[in-house]
Amino acid sequence: MELFDNIVLGLSTALAWNNLLWCIIGVSLGTLIGVIPGVGTLATMSLLFPITYVLEPTAALIMLAGIWYGSTYGGSTASILLNLPGTPANAVTCLDGFPMAKQGRAGVALLMTTVASFFGATAGILMMMLFSPLVAEVAFKFGPAEYFSMMVLGLVAASVVSSGSAVKGITMVVGGVLLGMVGTDVNSGVPRFDLGFPELQDGVQIVAIAMGLFGVTEIIASINHVKAADSKIDVSMKAMLPTRDEMKRSWGPMARGSGLGSFFGILPGVGPTVAAFMAYALEKRTSKTPERFGKGAIEGIMAPESANNASDQASFIPTMTLGIPGSVTMALIIGALMIHGIQPGPQMLTEQPDMFWGLIMSFWIGNIVLVILNVPMIGLWIRVLTIPYHILYPAIIMFICIGTYSVNNNVFDVYTVLAFGIGGYVLRVLDFQPAPLLLGYVLGPMLEENFRRAMLLSRGSIQTFIERPISMWVLILTAALLAWGVWSSLRHRSVVTAAPSPESV
Amino acid sequence: MLRVDYRDLIGGVLITLAGAGAMYHSLTTFSVGTAARMGPGYFPALVGGLLMLCGLMILIPALLRAGPVPTVELRPLFWISLSMLAFALLVLPFGLVPAIIAQTVLAGISDCKLSWRGSLILAGALSVGATLVFKIGLGVILPTFTWPW
Repeated sequence: MELFDNIVLGLSTALAWNNLLWCIIGVSLGTLIGVIPGVGTLATMSLLFPITYVLEPTAALIMLAGIWYGSTYGGSTASILLNLPGTPANAVTCLDGFPMAKQGRAGVALLMTTVASFFGATAGILMMMLFSPLVAEVAFKFGPAEYFSMMVLGLVAASVVSSGSAVKGITMVVGGVLLGMVGTDVNSGVPRFDLGFPELQDGVQIVAIAMGLFGVTEIIASINHVKAADSKIDVSMKAMLPTRDEMKRSWGPMARGSGLGSFFGILPGVGPTVAAFMAYALEKRTSKTPERFGKGAIEGIMAPESANNASDQASFIPTMTLGIPGSVTMALIIGALMIHGIQPGPQMLTEQPDMFWGLIMSFWIGNIVLVILNVPMIGLWIRVLTIPYHILYPAIIMFICIGTYSVNNNVFDVYTVLAFGIGGYVLRVLDFQPAPLLLGYVLGPMLEENFRRAMLLSRGSIQTFIERPISMWVLILTAALLAWGVWSSLRHRSVVTAAPSPESV
Repeated sequence: MLRVDYRDLIGGVLITLAGAGAMYHSLTTFSVGTAARMGPGYFPALVGGLLMLCGLMILIPALLRAGPVPTVELRPLFWISLSMLAFALLVLPFGLVPAIIAQTVLAGISDCKLSWRGSLILAGALSVGATLVFKIGLGVILPTFTWPW
């Protein structure tokens, strides 16, 4: 049984003491920042990015992943208690979670979202265990043309489906690709767009972009808008137990939410936010009593919370097996791996099975830790919600400054962060989402590399992209998505409408 | 509401200019090569052109519709930027602790919720914490205190 061997291998990696330690650190931090609105997942992952330089790649991967799925667990806490989503993926949970809290049933909501999260995550992880080897098998047949087309699909999907105008999303992706061109061209050795700074010949640092766009910009925009909670919530075991009727009504939404989430997670570019919205809409539409939604219906928190966690886990499938990140968070994870000289892709399963299966097994451990963190220790997180933001943000700025400096021991990087922070704020004021920019930046060099290689192989014929069947179908799908996105944005309708989210993606 | 969507108009113009600039620069400074053997300028020129196109697609519809007034919160923008600038300028000549104190105090001005005393206490606590975590814990090479002259 190959799967069984892989599980054993994965467990032995994930249970190695340092990997276990970083897994716990990752999920705890993830929960912490998920709980606090105004401190985003991306900001935290960027903040901790410098640490991943010193860690072993497997431990770095496990930790970053832990922050990502941990924040989705924690995010529901703020949604329920403050009516403010801790992360955008938890935005829908506000709709029924906050009414439950107002009815004095916050404890039940907090417990049940954790159950739903665990259930969803389980579905996502199982999906990853079963499907990754299959996807990798197919991916071995990919040439540069297929890779190019897949990346274009990922970029288009991410920008079209994200909140806001699709045209602007695509603009940011294209801008990001251009940003990725900064630095020395690998084929000819010519430095491009370095503006005369020798520091830019190695390209713009991913840490600087991420910290600027998601750390500094986020803080500037949040300072006047984040409020702390005053929380006197009963979180004793007794107050958390749901009624028998609520238990019975939870199973269906959880199962449907998990299925939907796993499916959306696999598609490049469609993240947990969309999955959660879809799951909520599905429950509301199929419910016999849709009028209960928005007034504290338990289905309304179970479905989105299982969907977003399933999607979190399943989104690792395209990232790890194809090397194509479906979202910005995944782009950061790929960035961390590339710093260690590891290129995710189908060969990862055969060449670094310990890392791949170790990561999957760490998901199990991480999710179990998260249940412990979010049920018996929930009181702690509620107290975190009462820390005022004006104490937090100077500290975060300090971490950003020292963190960036420490990567290369270079002050130039701090100036770069500042530039991206201001630039990111300008973009935000002009209603551009910064997230697709980073995705474009990470994929840009790969995109150019594969484009040049494909064109070299076809002796300069652009038709190679439509002559190869896989590539052709992927491009047709991309064109359809693009047409739909542009059409709907010209009609002023975004795909995810009116998400009450403080942060993008 | 404004008669023209200035927010998108400004954004569109900036993006169009950036795209055009990148395209022009790639075509003139780098060798472009042929489709089969691309030079360093080929792909950036394509991307620059695409960006220009995107900019135009934002700019033109913006002229034809009304839009919201963009709001800029200058105060946090200014003080946060200044605080980071202070850190970058001070950290090498004066050391980590003076840089952190300047940075924390300046950042604190952005929302005025902290008194001067509170701000200094926070700065002190952060200096101690950062020295322990980054210098001792992670071994970052930075002077704690120093004097340039």
